[in-house]
Amino acid sequence: MRIQDYYEFIARVRIVSGHDVLEKIPDELKKIGATKPLIVTDKGVSGVGLVDVLKNALGEKITIAKIVDDVPQDSDIRIVQRLAKEYREVGCDCLIALGGGSVLDTAKGINIMVSEGVNDLMKFTGKGVVKKALKPLIAIPTTAGTGSEMTQAAVIEDHEKKLKKLFVSPFISPDIAVLDSRMTLTLPTAITAATAMDAMAHAVEAYTCLGKNPMSDTCALTAIKLIRENLLTVMKSPDDKNGRLALANAATLAGMAFSNSLPGVVHSLGHSVGSVCGVPHGVCMAILLPYGLEYNLHKNEQLTAELLLPLGGEEEFVKTPKHLRAERTIYFIRKLNQDLHDVSDHRHARFFKEVLDREGKRMVPRERLPEIAQAALGDGTVIYNPEDLDLDDFLMIIEASWEGVPLDRSRIKKG
Amino acid sequence: MYKPESYEFFCPIKFSSGSRALENIPFELEALSARKPLIITDKNVTRRGLVRKMITAFKDSGVTIGIFDGIPDVPDMQLVTELSNIYRNGEHDAIIALGCGSIVDVAKVVNIAVSYNVKILRDLAGDNLMAHPLGPFVLVPTLTGTGYETSKFTFIEDLTFSSYFLMPDLVVIDSRTVRSESLQTTVATAMVALAHAAEAYTGPGKNPITDAYAYAAIQYVKDNLITVLTKPRNKEGRLALVNAAGMAGCAFSNMKPGLIHILGEAISAMFHIASGICMGILLPYGLEYTIQKNGYHTYDLLLPLSGFDEYAGTAENLKAEKAVNIMYEMQQDLYKVTGKKIPRTLEEANVPKYMVNDIAEKVFKDGAREFGIDDYRMVLEHAWEGKPMAHS
Amino acid sequence: MGDYREVQAGSKPFKRAYIAVMLWFVGRAIQAAARVDKAVREEFEKLPEGFTFSLGVQPHGPYMIVGKNQKGRVKYLGWKPESKVVDLRMAIKNIEAALLLFTFQESTAISICRDRIDFDGDLPPALTVIRAIGIVEVYLLPKLISKLAIKRYPVWSFGRKYLGRIRIYFHSILGY
Repeated sequence: MRIQDYYEFIARVRIVSGHDVLEKIPDELKKIGATKPLIVTDKGVSGVGLVDVLKNALGEKITIAKIVDDVPQDSDIRIVQRLAKEYREVGCDCLIALGGGSVLDTAKGINIMVSEGVNDLMKFTGKGVVKKALKPLIAIPTTAGTGSEMTQAAVIEDHEKKLKKLFVSPFISPDIAVLDSRMTLTLPTAITAATAMDAMAHAVEAYTCLGKNPMSDTCALTAIKLIRENLLTVMKSPDDKNGRLALANAATLAGMAFSNSLPGVVHSLGHSVGSVCGVPHGVCMAILLPYGLEYNLHKNEQLTAELLLPLGGEEEFVKTPKHLRAERTIYFIRKLNQDLHDVSDHRHARFFKEVLDREGKRMVPRERLPEIAQAALGDGTVIYNPEDLDLDDFLMIIEASWEGVPLDRSRIKKG
Repeated sequence: MYKPESYEFFCPIKFSSGSRALENIPFELEALSARKPLIITDKNVTRRGLVRKMITAFKDSGVTIGIFDGIPDVPDMQLVTELSNIYRNGEHDAIIALGCGSIVDVAKVVNIAVSYNVKILRDLAGDNLMAHPLGPFVLVPTLTGTGYETSKFTFIEDLTFSSYFLMPDLVVIDSRTVRSESLQTTVATAMVALAHAAEAYTGPGKNPITDAYAYAAIQYVKDNLITVLTKPRNKEGRLALVNAAGMAGCAFSNMKPGLIHILGEAISAMFHIASGICMGILLPYGLEYTIQKNGYHTYDLLLPLSGFDEYAGTAENLKAEKAVNIMYEMQQDLYKVTGKKIPRTLEEANVPKYMVNDIAEKVFKDGAREFGIDDYRMVLEHAWEGKPMAHS
Repeated sequence: MGDYREVQAGSKPFKRAYIAVMLWFVGRAIQAAARVDKAVREEFEKLPEGFTFSLGVQPHGPYMIVGKNQKGRVKYLGWKPESKVVDLRMAIKNIEAALLLFTFQESTAISICRDRIDFDGDLPPALTVIRAIGIVEVYLLPKLISKLAIKRYPVWSFGRKYLGRIRIYFHSILGY
């Protein structure tokens, strides 16, 4: 592994992982001098009883100032503003975010508002604008995927103005991430698959895109290995506590990796499919990942080949001749999608035309692909992709991934 | 198959490493709300022109810096008091340690002194006795480290302070400041890193996050140490070694000290040999001991040591042995390329044979009870003679 | 104490001057390219009327400010950000980082990957600006150098590249 000519790495989040570590939260709060948490979560999480698990774990030691469980799947500036107001009214002094990416982003937004003492969150959009330490924030992820417990970024939407604002600063990341196997144990298998593939995409792109560095590399390799070794077993036996914890760790490692070396084209397109058609992020990641690797292959053959070790295992790595390893890596990701498709009763989608909503309708109509490609041009992750992309390139990838056919590599422009 | 279990991990450090890294310091200080840093260093560093480079890095930032370059090899509390007065009188609001070893020790203690009160400093020595974060602290290391620079520990006189708040906020590794005093210090710096990282990677507290830091450290030492010794001008290699030292310090702050560390430090203190040299000697024997005792994850060590191809191509039951053999080979190589200046055994390090027993007893008596006295003795005996332990 | 001294960090006037000239020229070249080149024009058409962005060096400059006026024309607006409302601020962290960028030792993408540039504002317009600067670089620089500055060297017709280059240089120098 060569050392990069220049890199930065930061992962200031304290990690507490185990099967019964929620119980440690009161002590952790005491250490940072916080006593009255606002617990932010969503209906899905409270519906399966996870809030009760947390309440029991905190016990008498902590007075919960308030629990709000109505953060929607696609959180919004107005919710952030409302909850910041409640935080102030109740007189909280810290935040506990219990949930997935949307809950955590909301909590990060609240934290900026209450710590900076402002009513207009949008003053702080951009990179490096938040410049001082915020209130204590504890993240308890309930999906093993987004890794946002490790990231320094928050995305907050303004549905009215149709804006999506990005906040990036090292101060935004949570103080503590609590990975407790009980929190992901009840996750339905289809979501388990999609979120794990989300983590997989983070790790793979962190390893193969322009921002890579030695620390994110090792995090990424471990994350990929943990997913390969545990995902299918957890799909088959969802009560496997150790497997669940391993996946949660993989997601955190992947978060650590991609927070320090940002992802590329898979995310640019993934974000756009999400915003244009509302497809869950993890589903997009799973589908697009092999295509992203194919598109960048001419620039990334060596790095892609290296991923065969964590993805295919040692035997496979040795058996495969060097010049075929990169393609074999891509094959293994497609195979993983296929296996997940098989064990999930075909609920795990392999390509976009297979993605259906609750009524069984296609979520991504073919005629909306140009719109998706156009949106991808405005996604920041494009910068971190090794190869440049214009509208036609995005369109080529999204069309192939809709149809489920490999990219026609002769059509990829090489400058 | 290794699965992560219960663990905790914390590392507050931001690493900034590579070309023009120094020039980032003013920007980063501003992010830490600091406007007037105090640079703490020694005459050696000044003489090598590194202070001048530092001042150049601050040009155009409009910042005024204070520079203190009188840190001796063996600093005392008197100096800490003086420096805290300088810090206060000069209205400084951040500390930059430029260098390694005692420079960093003093800088950390001064940071406690100015954040708390210098009079109660002694009461804060010990484990986790600081309740709140300290002032902004930046580390700009050279290649003459003790292995504790990025860690949560600091030592002065007979006091040991330990707190996560002592870890730097920012570590700036710039190829222009990454210099070494001598072959020995380079080896000592690298070998502490390797030993700590290897013990983190194979020890009972193993977890995926310490692994990430340890993995990079192991690989960088293995890939670069010999190159740097034979081609001291190799910038990339030196950069990698200092990175390794920094990362190993983070891993070390999140683990229980292992056998190699415990014995290495003890021998270092008793015979005044750099602890890195001692740990370098003990490394393969300590690993062999681990293999015999419980096997933990020694086989995994082969991956960062040998790279993907060799790791994957080696049968599972041979991996641990091969990893240890790489360590033995490394000892031989170090001995060769340094013109026999780096000892391979305790005998070559001039530790008398009759003292082996005393070392084991002293270590045990001083409270390191993680391992039995016979275990210590066995490892020491083999390391004295240079006789690999038989694999069972 | 003899071991302590205070130092006022000086300045780097020559490096600053070089960056100032480069920013001035790139700013005017963007204005010119928005008139001459269809792709650049289309990029800027996506931005709202009155949109203004600045690119500069922290903490004391130099800067360049470029904006779209009410008629949709892209204009170089000078080097003083103080009195202007800027929608998108791109700030290079220090003068050395700016030098790496403007001596083409690091491409814009690599510079961002290495966290040398901060953004204050929305991302889509930032990307638009970065793409526009990329095209401008292809116009201004010989292939050998601009290949270092961008990821993929485009395939352009002779007319677009060479006539465009002459026109952009001409407009940039004359400033209209």
